[in-house]
Amino acid sequence: MSARPILLYPDPSLKAKTARVSPTNPDVAAIVQDMLDTLKASPGVALAAPQIGQLVQIIVVDVSRKKGEQGHGLVVLLNPRILQQDGPRIIREGCLSVPDYTGNVLRYERTIVQGLSPDGLPITLVASGFEALAFQHELDHLDGTLFLDRIESLSTDLYRRKR
Amino acid sequence: MNRYAMLTAFGQDRPGIVAALAEGLFQLGCNIEDTCMTRLRGEFTMMVMVRLPDGLSADQLASRLTPHTSPLELTVLCREVPAQAAERGSEPDMPIFMLSVYGADHPGIVAQIARVVADHGGNITDMNTRVIGAGDQPVYTMILEVQMPAGSQPEALGQALDHLKPSLGVDLTFRPLEQVRF
Repeated sequence: MSARPILLYPDPSLKAKTARVSPTNPDVAAIVQDMLDTLKASPGVALAAPQIGQLVQIIVVDVSRKKGEQGHGLVVLLNPRILQQDGPRIIREGCLSVPDYTGNVLRYERTIVQGLSPDGLPITLVASGFEALAFQHELDHLDGTLFLDRIESLSTDLYRRKR
Repeated sequence: MNRYAMLTAFGQDRPGIVAALAEGLFQLGCNIEDTCMTRLRGEFTMMVMVRLPDGLSADQLASRLTPHTSPLELTVLCREVPAQAAERGSEPDMPIFMLSVYGADHPGIVAQIARVVADHGGNITDMNTRVIGAGDQPVYTMILEVQMPAGSQPEALGQALDHLKPSLGVDLTFRPLEQVRF
């Protein structure tokens, strides 16, 4: 049980597909603990299991680590999925696994996420703002999607965009 | 120590320009670092920062590229860039603002807006302008990305920009771009 290094692209774990997990799987608790320890030691507010090399569907989010943010506090979700999202907005996003670069990506202001707690209880969360962005970013990691895959424009050139 | 050059190229747009330039640079042993390319109306325009191979100067680069670029009638210019400007370094996160300006086209919009931004310590880090609208009523549009370094005053800049609206005859919005890192 300890903080792990956060993997950096091009580590293949960051582009891999992940497996669903069962809360009864004895490995889950150890992975969750490593993720919590790693999060605590990092400057970030959220982590997905592939970022520490575990190809399973687990995320940890705690936006209260950022000053002025509250959200739902610490959330650990197994097999999370997004049920619904609305309020599209462009934000400048970066990732601990892709240092020194940020890009403009399309995200949503509100998102409803469903998953299981480590005890196996179903959880549905309605998140908005910064916390909603964190969930969207971490769920992407479980699909091997990085913000680089979502960049809307390399610069501010929005003129050619037709939506 | 690495040596770098900035190469700019422009000419009438057509398919194959990027391929020809990139092949020429590759064959000369240059490594493409960062690139910015767009089309201004019918004109292809590109800026490329390249790492030069040993024995090739920035001045030689343009002429050595000629066999690749002359069939495309490209204008190509090269200058050496100081290594300290070209080496990759991590930049501190700075508040970023987006500024959209649009209104009936007339001379002076860019000059006055950019002056106000500069006088408030803002650094324009990206800029696109375009004339749009019907032919007899051209509308000028400009989108700027502005970094506001520590010590600069975004609120004061926002107010100063608002004051420009009536005299310039433009509409504008100046808004922070939220930056998040997960």
